[in-house]
Amino acid sequence: MRVIASYNIKGGVGKTTTAVNLAYLAAREGSRTLLWDLDPQAAATFLFRVRPRVKGGSRGLVTRRRPVEDAVKATDFDNLDLLPADFSYRNMDLDLDDTKRRTRRLSQLLKELAPDYDTVFLDCPPSVSLVSENVLWASDTLLVPLIPATLSLRTYDQLTRFVADAEGNRPDVVAFFSMADRRKRLHRDVIEAIPRDRGRVANTVVPSLSLIEQMAERRAPVPAFAPTSRAARCYEQLWAEVRER
Amino acid sequence: MTAGTRTLQPADGEGLDVDRVVAALGRRFTVESGSRRAVRRTHVDTFDRRLLAAGLALEHDVTARQEALVLTRADGPGASATATGLRWPAFPDALPEGVLRQTVAAPAGIRALTALGQEKRRLQLLELRNADDKVVVRVELDEPDEGAPARPPTVTVRELRGYADEAARAVKALVATGLRPAPDQVAVDDDQGRTPVADRRQPAHVLLAAALGGFATAMDDNLPGLLDDVDTEFLHDFRVAVRRTRATLKIGRPALPHPMRSEWEPAFKWLGDLTTPVRDLDVYELELPTMGGWLVAADEADLAAFATHLRRRRTAVRRALVRGLRSQRYRRLRADWDLALDRLGDEARDSGLTAGELADQAIRRAARRVVRGGRSVTADSPATDLHDLRKRCKELRYALEVFAPVVDTTMRKKVVGDLKDLQDVLGRFQDTEVQRRALRSFAEEMMADGTPAEAVLAMGELIGHLDSEQDRARAEFDTAFGTFARPAGVQRLLHLGGHR
Ligand SMILES: Nc1ncnc2c1ncn2[C@@H]1O[C@H](COP(=O)(O)OP(=O)(O)OP(=O)(O)O)[C@@H](O)[C@H]1O
Ligand SMILES: [Mg+2]
Repeated sequence: MRVIASYNIKGGVGKTTTAVNLAYLAAREGSRTLLWDLDPQAAATFLFRVRPRVKGGSRGLVTRRRPVEDAVKATDFDNLDLLPADFSYRNMDLDLDDTKRRTRRLSQLLKELAPDYDTVFLDCPPSVSLVSENVLWASDTLLVPLIPATLSLRTYDQLTRFVADAEGNRPDVVAFFSMADRRKRLHRDVIEAIPRDRGRVANTVVPSLSLIEQMAERRAPVPAFAPTSRAARCYEQLWAEVRER
Repeated sequence: MTAGTRTLQPADGEGLDVDRVVAALGRRFTVESGSRRAVRRTHVDTFDRRLLAAGLALEHDVTARQEALVLTRADGPGASATATGLRWPAFPDALPEGVLRQTVAAPAGIRALTALGQEKRRLQLLELRNADDKVVVRVELDEPDEGAPARPPTVTVRELRGYADEAARAVKALVATGLRPAPDQVAVDDDQGRTPVADRRQPAHVLLAAALGGFATAMDDNLPGLLDDVDTEFLHDFRVAVRRTRATLKIGRPALPHPMRSEWEPAFKWLGDLTTPVRDLDVYELELPTMGGWLVAADEADLAAFATHLRRRRTAVRRALVRGLRSQRYRRLRADWDLALDRLGDEARDSGLTAGELADQAIRRAARRVVRGGRSVTADSPATDLHDLRKRCKELRYALEVFAPVVDTTMRKKVVGDLKDLQDVLGRFQDTEVQRRALRSFAEEMMADGTPAEAVLAMGELIGHLDSEQDRARAEFDTAFGTFARPAGVQRLLHLGGHR
């Protein structure tokens, strides 16, 4: 089972959009896929039309009083299941803090799901917290959407330091530019300035496209409602790069 | 992902009223109908119906756009796979790789899969959505079109993970339109060739004679293939028939004349023991490729010495087996057994027990023994306690098989399902125990023969793997037994016969 986390300390950079589209593509290829919406705001859960409700909440899961698999919901797509968000996830940090091995709990919970899934995506809330430490421990790959602006590169540096300083598991970090606007000079400059040689930044650039914004109205992944669109092709390309790592 | 399915069909001989189905579902869900598709369906099995005997049904569906294999099983979730250009007959290794192929290959073994029938059907998929416009249930309509239909029209409700209540509501709505649960499309192996319903008031010994006669025929059917060593399966099936005979004699004691116990129980024990050594070696030989996969440090090639060792041993013990089965003793046993069964069948004098009474008695007794045995198992119980419990489970299983004709079919299947899970855990625990010990003694024999060290080390690795497998089975025991012994399950067992 491979665990891929869509993560950035910053908000609104396209984490959820990426997790939803790539999870859909993985499942479409036949990989048994689970997306865990860890964000109490439940954006990914909303996109799949699932109710943001987990019986027993964060505490039930974290204390293992409620088996994780009981919370899983099928999406409308073959091979793709969702572990929904719940408003109680806003306290997940505190719940984790009360447990033994507090940075490894998420990883343990995911192990229980290993027989059922080949690929797991984690859609993370934007923060540095005990939840994100758990995400680091649980993931094989951190997928980091970056908006091509100077500030976002600084957060990216912070993030690589956070990973480097982490104890235990250090996932592979794959960053990529998201919501890029070629008409903006700054965007072009930043994209060109970044060295791709060390393989830290993906070749695929996801441009800012109105079709991607429409996901919220259509409540579906882009390749599901516009399979031949440019936006769908971008995510296919990105998935091909991430899959090969 | 799909969690489970329920198949319904119209009352006898009636067609499917699609509009009515859609209307009934439409009162609870938003129904989205997919387009209709024509499918050419081929039913596939080995010539001797091995898949059917294993509780499986394999269908090859070809539509204009795609080709699919669909496997249904009597006791659990099925599997499906997309296929291209399959032609029958074909060997299991021609199927697309995956769960489906593995499930089919186990019972089919080296036999070819052939087309046993073909028909045209019409399929239609309905998606049921909730108020959030989320798909919560899928329903598949499947109607005969041309050709001799292997089944009536069916409506299959596919439950989606996390939406069990919605699926249950859909089933209720469909039942309200007059649809009924389809009888299991696949017969469970032990029901094969037997009428599902017999008179509970018939004398018990008549039912026992019929069952024993069936097992005797199975022995005869498998004997030639066994003697010629065509395939290990012949010996296996022969042994199953012997084991069932022995179990039936034991369960039937209260209703059988005394010589059955004093003469025939020992006679069949001899026969069983005669066949054991070859089968044990067959099991290792069949498992060898799997065992190769357990190795981490050692190389699969290091098992070559083990394979040679097994083959040499097998040649020796097979000679003894063939001698035994060609002997005067066996021929006499077999002829006398026919006579004994004839006499039993028309015995005027009987024990006074009816088939129904004996069934209730035997099943209850065996069930209580399993429950008591399982409850006494604690974390520190020795392996022998679990072994003993496994035997008790087997007795119960045989009782459920022999008396299948006189107990409630649906309840029986539920009970057998629970019992199977428990038997599976106990079986894995015990088999790893036995294999571990056997491998150790094989390794010793091989060392004495001067086999190179790598080969012996590889054996050590296999033993290590078995150790951890055994621990795993042990850890699963509590849950499996808890499920089996839950009040509802036990009540069902104790009242299996009460319905008729
Ligand atoms: N490539 C894109 N082009 C246009 N709009 C985009 C693109 N990617 C994301 N968006 C939009 O930007 C908004 C934020 O995206 P998204 O929710 O995926 O970010 P996020 O990082 O998950 O946010 P949060 O930190 O709040 O969880 C959404 O409205 C989304 O539709
Ligand atoms: Mg988000």
